[in-house]
Amino acid sequence: MTGRGSPSRFLAAVLHNGVGRYVRQLQRLQLLFSPTAADARGARQFVEEAAQDFARQHPDVVLYVSPHSGPGQAPVLRAEYLNGTVREELVASRTSEEIVQLATKLANQSGLDIIRIRKPFHTDNPSIQGQWHPLTNKPSILTVQGPRLQPQ
Amino acid sequence: LLLRAARPLLAGAGRGTALGTAPGTAPSTAFSTAPPPEKKRWHRAYLELQRLQAPPQRRSEKPNWDYHAEIQAFSHRLQENFALDLLKTAFVNPCYIESEEARRRQLGLDKDAVALQLQDNTGLAEQGLRFSRAYLAQCFEGAYPELPAKGIEALVNFLTSQELVSYVAQNLSIQDLALCRDFPTPPDVLQRTFLAVIGALLESSGPERTGIFVRDFFIPQLIGKDLFEIWEVVNPMGLLLEELTKRNISAPEPRITRQLGVSTVLPVYFVGLYCDKKILAEGPGETLLAAEEEAARVALRKLYGYTENRRPWDYSKPKQGLAAEKAISSN
Repeated sequence: MTGRGSPSRFLAAVLHNGVGRYVRQLQRLQLLFSPTAADARGARQFVEEAAQDFARQHPDVVLYVSPHSGPGQAPVLRAEYLNGTVREELVASRTSEEIVQLATKLANQSGLDIIRIRKPFHTDNPSIQGQWHPLTNKPSILTVQGPRLQPQ
Repeated sequence: LLLRAARPLLAGAGRGTALGTAPGTAPSTAFSTAPPPEKKRWHRAYLELQRLQAPPQRRSEKPNWDYHAEIQAFSHRLQENFALDLLKTAFVNPCYIESEEARRRQLGLDKDAVALQLQDNTGLAEQGLRFSRAYLAQCFEGAYPELPAKGIEALVNFLTSQELVSYVAQNLSIQDLALCRDFPTPPDVLQRTFLAVIGALLESSGPERTGIFVRDFFIPQLIGKDLFEIWEVVNPMGLLLEELTKRNISAPEPRITRQLGVSTVLPVYFVGLYCDKKILAEGPGETLLAAEEEAARVALRKLYGYTENRRPWDYSKPKQGLAAEKAISSN
Protein backbone atom coordinates (compact mmCIF):
# COMPACT_ATOMS: atom_id res chain seq x y z
CA MET A 1 0.00 0.00 0.00
CA THR A 2 1.19 3.51 -0.71
CA GLY A 3 1.63 6.15 1.94
CA ARG A 4 -1.82 7.57 1.29
CA GLY A 5 -3.50 4.23 1.74
CA SER A 6 -2.00 3.38 5.10
CA PRO A 7 -2.24 5.55 8.22
CA SER A 8 0.52 8.00 9.06
CA ARG A 9 1.33 10.46 11.81
CA PHE A 10 3.74 13.28 12.59
CA LEU A 11 6.72 12.93 14.86
CA ALA A 12 5.54 13.70 18.39
CA ALA A 13 6.27 12.99 22.02
CA VAL A 14 3.68 12.21 24.64
CA LEU A 15 3.32 15.27 26.93
CA HIS A 16 6.53 16.82 25.49
CA ASN A 17 8.48 14.00 27.16
CA GLY A 18 12.14 14.85 27.54
CA VAL A 19 11.72 18.62 27.55
CA GLY A 20 11.18 18.66 31.31
CA ARG A 21 12.30 15.26 32.49
CA TYR A 22 12.32 11.89 30.81
CA VAL A 23 9.49 9.60 31.90
CA ARG A 24 9.63 6.01 30.66
CA GLN A 25 6.46 5.50 28.70
CA LEU A 26 6.23 1.76 29.34
CA GLN A 27 3.99 1.10 32.32
CA ARG A 28 3.82 -2.67 32.62
CA LEU A 29 4.87 -5.81 30.82
CA GLN A 30 2.85 -9.00 31.11
CA LEU A 31 4.54 -12.22 30.09
CA LEU A 32 1.87 -14.86 29.51
CA PHE A 33 3.09 -18.34 28.69
CA SER A 34 2.28 -21.96 29.20
CA PRO A 35 4.40 -23.98 31.66
CA THR A 36 4.67 -27.05 29.48
CA ALA A 37 4.33 -26.03 25.84
CA ALA A 38 7.37 -26.46 23.63
CA ASP A 39 7.38 -23.01 22.07
CA ALA A 40 7.29 -21.32 25.48
CA ARG A 41 10.74 -22.71 26.35
CA GLY A 42 12.43 -19.38 25.71
CA ALA A 43 9.86 -17.62 27.84
CA ARG A 44 10.41 -20.08 30.69
CA GLN A 45 14.18 -19.61 30.45
CA PHE A 46 13.70 -15.85 30.43
CA VAL A 47 11.67 -16.08 33.63
CA GLU A 48 14.26 -18.30 35.29
CA GLU A 49 17.38 -16.43 34.23
CA ALA A 50 16.85 -12.90 32.98
CA ALA A 51 13.54 -11.62 34.29
CA GLN A 52 14.81 -10.52 37.68
CA ASP A 53 17.76 -8.64 36.17
CA PHE A 54 15.42 -6.94 33.73
CA ALA A 55 13.07 -5.98 36.54
CA ARG A 56 15.94 -4.59 38.60
CA GLN A 57 17.30 -2.57 35.72
CA HIS A 58 13.87 -1.12 34.98
CA PRO A 59 12.33 -0.25 38.36
CA ASP A 60 9.65 1.87 36.73
CA VAL A 61 8.20 -1.02 34.71
CA VAL A 62 5.99 -3.54 36.51
CA LEU A 63 6.68 -7.03 35.16
CA TYR A 64 3.90 -9.59 35.59
CA VAL A 65 4.52 -13.27 34.92
CA SER A 66 1.43 -15.43 34.69
CA PRO A 67 0.17 -18.54 32.99
CA HIS A 68 -1.86 -18.37 29.81
CA SER A 69 -4.93 -20.32 30.68
CA GLY A 70 -6.81 -22.21 28.01
CA PRO A 71 -5.41 -25.02 25.91
CA GLY A 72 -2.78 -24.06 23.38
CA GLN A 73 -2.28 -20.32 23.69
CA ALA A 74 0.96 -19.02 22.27
CA PRO A 75 3.30 -17.21 24.69
CA VAL A 76 2.86 -13.48 24.45
CA LEU A 77 4.54 -10.37 25.85
CA ARG A 78 1.97 -7.63 26.40
CA ALA A 79 3.20 -4.06 26.89
CA GLU A 80 0.98 -1.30 28.27
CA TYR A 81 1.99 2.33 27.81
CA LEU A 82 1.14 5.51 29.64
CA ASN A 83 -1.05 6.86 26.86
CA GLY A 84 -3.19 3.70 26.92
CA THR A 85 -1.72 1.75 24.01
CA VAL A 86 -1.45 -2.00 24.52
CA ARG A 87 1.00 -3.89 22.30
CA GLU A 88 1.23 -7.64 22.16
CA GLU A 89 4.30 -9.39 20.82
CA LEU A 90 4.38 -13.11 20.18
CA VAL A 91 7.42 -14.70 21.82
CA ALA A 92 6.80 -18.26 20.65
CA SER A 93 10.00 -20.14 19.78
CA ARG A 94 12.29 -17.30 20.78
CA THR A 95 15.35 -17.65 22.95
CA SER A 96 15.75 -15.96 26.29
CA GLU A 97 18.22 -13.37 24.92
CA GLU A 98 15.84 -12.45 22.12
CA ILE A 99 13.08 -11.92 24.66
CA VAL A 100 15.36 -9.67 26.71
CA GLN A 101 16.13 -7.64 23.60
CA LEU A 102 12.46 -7.43 22.74
CA ALA A 103 11.53 -6.34 26.23
CA THR A 104 14.25 -3.66 26.19
CA LYS A 105 13.01 -2.45 22.81
CA LEU A 106 9.45 -2.20 24.16
CA ALA A 107 10.71 -0.39 27.25
CA ASN A 108 12.40 2.26 25.14
CA GLN A 109 9.38 2.93 22.91
CA SER A 110 6.64 5.42 23.55
CA GLY A 111 3.10 4.22 23.15
CA LEU A 112 2.50 6.10 19.90
CA ASP A 113 1.39 4.04 16.90
CA ILE A 114 4.01 2.29 14.79
CA ILE A 115 2.90 3.73 11.49
CA ARG A 116 4.63 5.81 8.84
CA ILE A 117 6.06 9.01 10.29
CA ARG A 118 5.56 11.74 7.76
CA LYS A 119 8.62 13.82 8.60
CA PRO A 120 11.63 12.80 10.70
CA PHE A 121 11.60 16.21 12.38
CA HIS A 122 9.16 18.42 14.25
CA THR A 123 9.43 21.91 15.61
CA ASP A 124 7.11 24.20 17.52
CA ASN A 125 9.03 27.34 16.50
CA PRO A 126 9.44 27.02 12.75
CA SER A 127 10.52 30.60 12.25
CA ILE A 128 12.94 32.71 14.29
CA GLN A 129 13.07 35.91 12.28
CA GLY A 130 9.46 35.73 11.21
CA GLN A 131 7.71 33.69 8.52
CA TRP A 132 8.20 35.10 5.02
CA HIS A 133 5.12 36.51 3.35
CA PRO A 134 4.94 38.27 -0.03
CA LEU A 135 5.20 41.70 1.57
CA THR A 136 8.25 40.98 3.74
CA ASN A 137 10.95 42.69 1.73
CA LYS A 138 8.77 45.13 -0.15
CA PRO A 139 9.05 48.76 0.95
CA SER A 140 6.08 50.14 2.87
CA ILE A 141 3.86 52.91 1.47
CA LEU A 142 5.28 55.33 4.01
CA THR A 143 8.84 55.10 2.71
CA VAL A 144 9.61 58.51 1.28
CA GLN A 145 11.17 58.42 -2.19
CA GLY A 146 13.37 61.48 -2.16
CA PRO A 147 15.41 63.05 -4.96
CA ARG A 148 18.69 61.29 -5.59
CA LEU A 149 21.63 63.10 -4.04
CA GLN A 150 24.11 64.40 -6.56
CA PRO A 151 27.60 62.92 -6.18
CA GLN A 152 29.85 65.50 -4.42
CA LEU B 1 9.43 -4.96 39.55
CA LEU B 2 8.84 -8.71 39.33
CA LEU B 3 5.82 -10.57 40.66
CA ARG B 4 4.89 -14.24 40.49
CA ALA B 5 1.24 -15.10 39.91
CA ALA B 6 -0.40 -16.60 42.94
CA ARG B 7 -2.34 -19.19 40.93
CA PRO B 8 -0.69 -22.57 40.43
CA LEU B 9 0.48 -22.98 36.87
CA LEU B 10 -1.87 -25.26 34.93
CA ALA B 11 -0.72 -28.47 33.33
CA GLY B 12 -0.87 -27.43 29.68
CA ALA B 13 -3.03 -29.35 27.26
CA GLY B 14 -1.78 -30.50 23.87
CA ARG B 15 -1.05 -28.01 21.15
CA GLY B 16 -2.97 -29.53 18.26
CA THR B 17 -4.71 -27.11 15.96
CA ALA B 18 -4.57 -24.30 18.48
CA LEU B 19 -1.40 -22.75 17.02
CA GLY B 20 -3.32 -21.93 13.90
CA THR B 21 -6.06 -20.19 15.84
CA ALA B 22 -3.98 -18.32 18.39
CA PRO B 23 -2.84 -15.62 15.95
CA GLY B 24 -6.36 -15.64 14.53
CA THR B 25 -7.94 -14.39 17.76
CA ALA B 26 -7.13 -10.73 17.25
CA PRO B 27 -5.58 -9.58 20.53
CA SER B 28 -6.72 -6.14 21.57
CA THR B 29 -7.19 -5.12 25.19
CA ALA B 30 -8.27 -8.68 26.04
CA PHE B 31 -7.98 -10.50 29.35
CA SER B 32 -5.11 -12.91 29.72
CA THR B 33 -7.62 -15.64 30.59
CA ALA B 34 -9.03 -15.71 27.06
CA PRO B 35 -11.76 -18.23 26.36
CA PRO B 36 -10.52 -21.39 24.68
CA PRO B 37 -10.25 -20.86 20.93
CA GLU B 38 -13.34 -22.41 19.43
CA LYS B 39 -13.07 -24.30 16.23
CA LYS B 40 -16.30 -22.94 14.74
CA ARG B 41 -15.71 -19.68 12.89
CA TRP B 42 -19.09 -18.20 13.78
CA HIS B 43 -18.50 -18.93 17.46
CA ARG B 44 -15.15 -17.19 17.38
CA ALA B 45 -16.73 -14.18 15.63
CA TYR B 46 -19.48 -14.10 18.27
CA LEU B 47 -16.99 -14.24 21.16
CA GLU B 48 -14.93 -11.49 19.56
CA LEU B 49 -18.03 -9.31 19.22
CA GLN B 50 -18.88 -9.94 22.89
CA ARG B 51 -15.37 -8.96 23.90
CA LEU B 52 -15.52 -5.74 21.87
CA GLN B 53 -18.94 -4.79 23.18
CA ALA B 54 -18.09 -5.41 26.84
CA PRO B 55 -18.23 -2.18 28.92
CA PRO B 56 -14.84 -0.64 29.72
CA GLN B 57 -13.35 -1.82 32.97
CA ARG B 58 -10.89 -0.27 35.36
CA ARG B 59 -7.35 -1.60 35.01
CA SER B 60 -7.49 -2.66 38.66
CA GLU B 61 -10.38 -5.01 37.87
CA LYS B 62 -8.54 -6.72 35.03
CA PRO B 63 -6.10 -9.56 35.74
CA ASN B 64 -2.46 -8.89 36.61
CA TRP B 65 -2.67 -5.94 38.95
CA ASP B 66 -0.63 -5.29 42.06
CA TYR B 67 -1.39 -1.92 43.64
CA HIS B 68 1.71 -1.66 45.79
CA ALA B 69 4.04 -2.56 42.91
CA GLU B 70 2.27 -0.10 40.64
CA ILE B 71 2.65 2.68 43.22
CA GLN B 72 6.35 1.94 43.58
CA ALA B 73 6.82 1.92 39.81
CA PHE B 74 4.92 5.22 39.61
CA SER B 75 7.32 6.90 41.99
CA HIS B 76 10.35 5.48 40.13
CA ARG B 77 8.93 6.54 36.79
CA LEU B 78 8.62 10.16 37.91
CA GLN B 79 12.16 9.92 39.34
CA GLU B 80 10.96 11.08 42.73
CA ASN B 81 11.19 9.62 46.21
CA PHE B 82 7.70 9.59 47.59
CA ALA B 83 6.70 8.54 51.09
CA LEU B 84 4.54 5.63 49.97
CA ASP B 85 1.82 6.01 52.58
CA LEU B 86 1.40 9.70 51.65
CA LEU B 87 1.26 8.74 48.00
CA LYS B 88 -1.38 6.10 48.67
CA THR B 89 -3.41 8.68 50.58
CA ALA B 90 -3.09 11.02 47.61
CA PHE B 91 -4.90 8.55 45.37
CA VAL B 92 -7.90 8.09 47.67
CA ASN B 93 -10.78 10.32 46.63
CA PRO B 94 -13.73 11.22 48.88
CA CYS B 95 -16.24 9.81 46.36
CA TYR B 96 -14.53 6.45 46.70
CA ILE B 97 -14.76 6.49 50.49
CA GLU B 98 -18.45 7.38 50.31
CA SER B 99 -19.25 4.69 47.79
CA GLU B 100 -17.31 2.07 49.75
CA GLU B 101 -19.08 2.97 52.98
CA ALA B 102 -22.44 2.86 51.23
CA ARG B 103 -21.60 -0.54 49.81
CA ARG B 104 -20.59 -1.84 53.22
CA ARG B 105 -23.76 -0.48 54.77
CA GLN B 106 -25.77 -2.20 52.06
CA LEU B 107 -24.02 -5.48 52.85
CA GLY B 108 -25.26 -5.06 56.40
CA LEU B 109 -22.03 -4.60 58.34
CA ASP B 110 -22.21 -2.88 61.73
CA LYS B 111 -21.11 0.71 62.22
CA ASP B 112 -17.49 0.00 63.23
CA ALA B 113 -16.83 -2.09 60.18
CA VAL B 114 -18.52 0.41 57.86
CA ALA B 115 -16.20 3.32 58.64
CA LEU B 116 -13.10 3.03 56.42
CA GLN B 117 -9.76 3.81 58.00
CA LEU B 118 -8.72 5.81 54.94
CA GLN B 119 -7.95 9.50 54.72
CA ASP B 120 -9.00 11.24 51.57
CA ASN B 121 -6.85 13.49 49.45
CA THR B 122 -8.61 16.87 49.74
CA GLY B 123 -6.02 18.28 52.17
CA LEU B 124 -3.09 17.19 50.00
CA ALA B 125 -4.88 18.46 46.89
CA GLU B 126 -5.34 21.92 48.39
CA GLN B 127 -1.71 22.04 49.45
CA GLY B 128 -0.59 20.97 46.00
CA LEU B 129 -2.80 23.54 44.29
CA ARG B 130 -1.57 26.38 46.50
CA PHE B 131 2.06 25.44 46.03
CA SER B 132 1.76 25.00 42.25
CA ARG B 133 0.02 28.33 41.78
CA ALA B 134 2.51 30.19 43.95
CA TYR B 135 5.50 28.51 42.35
CA LEU B 136 4.29 29.04 38.77
CA ALA B 137 3.46 32.68 39.52
CA GLN B 138 6.95 33.16 40.83
CA CYS B 139 8.51 31.45 37.79
CA PHE B 140 6.64 33.73 35.43
CA GLU B 141 7.43 36.85 37.44
CA GLY B 142 11.09 35.95 37.15
CA ALA B 143 11.01 35.02 33.49
CA TYR B 144 8.72 37.75 32.17
CA PRO B 145 9.25 40.72 34.50
CA GLU B 146 7.28 43.08 32.24
CA LEU B 147 4.16 40.92 32.22
CA PRO B 148 1.44 42.47 34.41
CA ALA B 149 -0.25 40.64 37.26
CA LYS B 150 -3.36 39.87 35.22
CA GLY B 151 -1.30 38.20 32.54
CA ILE B 152 0.56 36.05 35.07
CA GLU B 153 -2.75 35.15 36.71
CA ALA B 154 -4.15 34.13 33.32
CA LEU B 155 -1.13 31.92 32.61
CA VAL B 156 -1.28 30.29 36.04
CA ASN B 157 -5.04 29.74 35.72
CA PHE B 158 -4.53 28.12 32.36
CA LEU B 159 -1.83 25.80 33.67
CA THR B 160 -3.83 24.74 36.73
CA SER B 161 -7.11 24.49 34.84
CA GLN B 162 -9.10 21.25 34.90
CA GLU B 163 -8.55 20.49 31.21
CA LEU B 164 -4.81 20.75 31.25
CA VAL B 165 -4.20 19.06 34.58
CA SER B 166 -6.52 16.18 33.75
CA TYR B 167 -4.82 15.78 30.35
CA VAL B 168 -1.40 15.60 32.00
CA ALA B 169 -2.72 13.19 34.63
CA GLN B 170 -4.30 10.99 31.95
CA ASN B 171 -1.01 10.68 30.12
CA LEU B 172 0.79 9.79 33.35
CA SER B 173 -1.83 7.06 33.82
CA ILE B 174 -3.06 8.41 37.13
CA GLN B 175 -6.52 7.14 36.23
CA ASP B 176 -5.26 3.57 36.76
CA LEU B 177 -4.07 4.24 40.29
CA ALA B 178 -6.74 6.68 41.47
CA LEU B 179 -9.44 5.20 43.66
CA CYS B 180 -12.75 6.78 42.75
CA ARG B 181 -16.37 5.89 42.38
CA ASP B 182 -16.94 6.50 38.64
CA PHE B 183 -15.26 4.95 35.65
CA PRO B 184 -13.95 6.42 33.38
CA THR B 185 -12.47 8.85 35.89
CA PRO B 186 -14.00 12.33 35.51
CA PRO B 187 -11.55 15.18 34.84
CA ASP B 188 -12.08 16.99 38.14
CA VAL B 189 -11.16 13.82 40.03
CA LEU B 190 -8.02 13.48 37.90
CA GLN B 191 -7.13 17.09 38.59
CA ARG B 192 -7.65 16.65 42.33
CA THR B 193 -5.61 13.44 42.38
CA PHE B 194 -2.69 14.95 40.47
CA LEU B 195 -2.63 18.01 42.74
CA ALA B 196 -2.75 15.66 45.73
CA VAL B 197 0.27 13.82 44.30
CA ILE B 198 2.07 17.16 44.15
CA GLY B 199 1.01 17.81 47.75
CA ALA B 200 2.33 14.41 48.79
CA LEU B 201 5.64 15.15 47.06
CA LEU B 202 5.77 18.48 48.86
CA GLU B 203 5.43 16.74 52.21
CA SER B 204 7.89 13.96 51.41
CA SER B 205 10.67 15.74 49.51
CA GLY B 206 10.33 19.41 50.30
CA PRO B 207 9.63 22.53 48.25
CA GLU B 208 12.70 22.49 46.03
CA ARG B 209 12.15 19.10 44.44
CA THR B 210 8.44 19.76 44.18
CA GLY B 211 9.20 23.01 42.40
CA ILE B 212 11.35 21.17 39.86
CA PHE B 213 8.57 18.60 39.44
CA VAL B 214 5.94 21.30 38.78
CA ARG B 215 8.29 23.01 36.35
CA ASP B 216 9.00 19.79 34.45
CA PHE B 217 5.38 18.81 33.97
CA PHE B 218 3.48 22.07 33.66
CA ILE B 219 5.74 24.48 31.82
CA PRO B 220 6.20 22.29 28.68
CA GLN B 221 2.45 22.63 28.17
CA LEU B 222 3.06 26.25 27.17
CA ILE B 223 5.15 25.18 24.18
CA GLY B 224 3.59 26.33 20.94
CA LYS B 225 1.00 28.49 22.70
CA ASP B 226 0.59 32.19 22.14
CA LEU B 227 0.09 34.62 25.02
CA PHE B 228 -3.24 35.91 23.81
CA GLU B 229 -4.59 32.41 23.23
CA ILE B 230 -4.30 31.91 26.96
CA TRP B 231 -4.97 35.44 28.21
CA GLU B 232 -8.14 36.91 26.78
CA VAL B 233 -7.67 40.62 26.23
CA VAL B 234 -10.76 42.40 24.95
CA ASN B 235 -9.22 45.79 24.23
CA PRO B 236 -5.53 45.40 23.33
CA MET B 237 -5.22 49.02 22.21
CA GLY B 238 -6.36 50.29 25.60
CA LEU B 239 -3.94 47.98 27.38
CA LEU B 240 -1.14 49.14 25.08
CA LEU B 241 -1.91 52.79 25.88
CA GLU B 242 -1.69 52.00 29.59
CA GLU B 243 1.63 50.24 29.16
CA LEU B 244 3.09 53.07 27.11
CA THR B 245 2.00 55.73 29.60
CA LYS B 246 3.69 53.70 32.32
CA ARG B 247 6.90 53.84 30.34
CA ASN B 248 6.43 57.53 29.43
CA ILE B 249 6.17 56.89 25.72
CA SER B 250 3.71 58.95 23.72
CA ALA B 251 0.55 57.43 22.33
CA PRO B 252 0.97 55.35 19.16
CA GLU B 253 -0.16 56.62 15.78
CA PRO B 254 -1.50 53.95 13.48
CA ARG B 255 -0.55 54.17 9.80
CA ILE B 256 -1.17 51.81 6.91
CA THR B 257 2.21 50.44 5.86
CA ARG B 258 1.16 47.92 3.24
CA GLN B 259 -2.05 46.98 1.62
CA LEU B 260 -3.07 44.44 -0.99
CA GLY B 261 -6.30 43.76 -2.77
CA VAL B 262 -8.19 46.71 -1.32
CA SER B 263 -11.01 46.50 -3.81
CA THR B 264 -11.32 42.72 -3.63
CA VAL B 265 -13.14 40.37 -1.31
CA LEU B 266 -9.95 39.44 0.56
CA PRO B 267 -7.97 42.58 1.31
CA VAL B 268 -4.84 42.52 3.45
CA TYR B 269 -3.84 45.59 5.40
CA PHE B 270 -0.63 45.97 7.40
CA VAL B 271 -1.01 48.66 10.04
CA GLY B 272 2.09 49.98 11.78
CA LEU B 273 2.04 51.73 15.16
CA TYR B 274 4.46 54.64 15.40
CA CYS B 275 5.53 56.37 18.62
CA ASP B 276 7.36 59.64 17.98
CA LYS B 277 7.67 58.60 14.35
CA LYS B 278 9.54 55.42 15.30
CA ILE B 279 8.00 52.06 14.51
CA LEU B 280 6.71 50.08 17.48
CA ALA B 281 4.96 47.13 15.84
CA GLU B 282 3.21 46.09 12.66
CA GLY B 283 0.30 43.75 12.28
CA PRO B 284 -1.82 42.35 9.45
CA GLY B 285 -5.56 42.07 9.16
CA GLU B 286 -8.48 41.69 6.80
CA THR B 287 -9.99 45.06 7.72
CA LEU B 288 -8.29 48.19 9.00
CA LEU B 289 -9.71 47.74 12.49
CA ALA B 290 -8.63 44.14 12.67
CA ALA B 291 -5.16 45.08 11.47
CA GLU B 292 -4.85 47.82 14.07
CA GLU B 293 -5.90 45.45 16.83
CA GLU B 294 -3.41 42.86 15.64
CA ALA B 295 -0.68 45.51 15.57
CA ALA B 296 -1.55 46.42 19.18
CA ARG B 297 -1.27 42.74 20.13
CA VAL B 298 2.12 42.41 18.43
CA ALA B 299 3.28 45.52 20.29
CA LEU B 300 2.11 44.07 23.60
CA ARG B 301 3.89 40.79 22.90
CA LYS B 302 7.10 42.68 22.21
CA LEU B 303 6.75 44.78 25.34
CA TYR B 304 6.08 41.79 27.58
CA GLY B 305 8.83 39.72 26.01
CA TYR B 306 6.49 36.86 25.10
CA THR B 307 7.27 36.76 21.36
CA GLU B 308 7.49 33.54 19.41
CA ASN B 309 11.25 33.86 19.01
CA ARG B 310 12.00 34.41 22.70
CA ARG B 311 14.61 32.29 24.45
CA PRO B 312 13.12 28.89 25.34
CA TRP B 313 12.52 28.04 28.99
CA ASP B 314 15.59 26.99 30.90
CA TYR B 315 15.08 23.54 32.40
CA SER B 316 18.67 22.99 33.41
CA LYS B 317 19.55 24.76 36.58
CA PRO B 318 17.72 23.74 39.73
CA LYS B 319 15.76 26.58 41.19
CA GLN B 320 17.40 28.27 44.16
CA GLY B 321 16.15 27.22 47.58
CA LEU B 322 15.20 30.79 48.47
CA ALA B 323 12.75 31.07 45.61
CA ALA B 324 10.91 27.89 46.53
CA GLU B 325 10.74 28.77 50.21
CA LYS B 326 9.34 32.16 49.36
CA ALA B 327 6.64 30.30 47.49
CA ILE B 328 5.75 28.41 50.64
CA SER B 329 5.80 31.40 52.93
CA SER B 330 3.69 33.52 50.62
CA ASN B 331 0.76 31.00 50.69
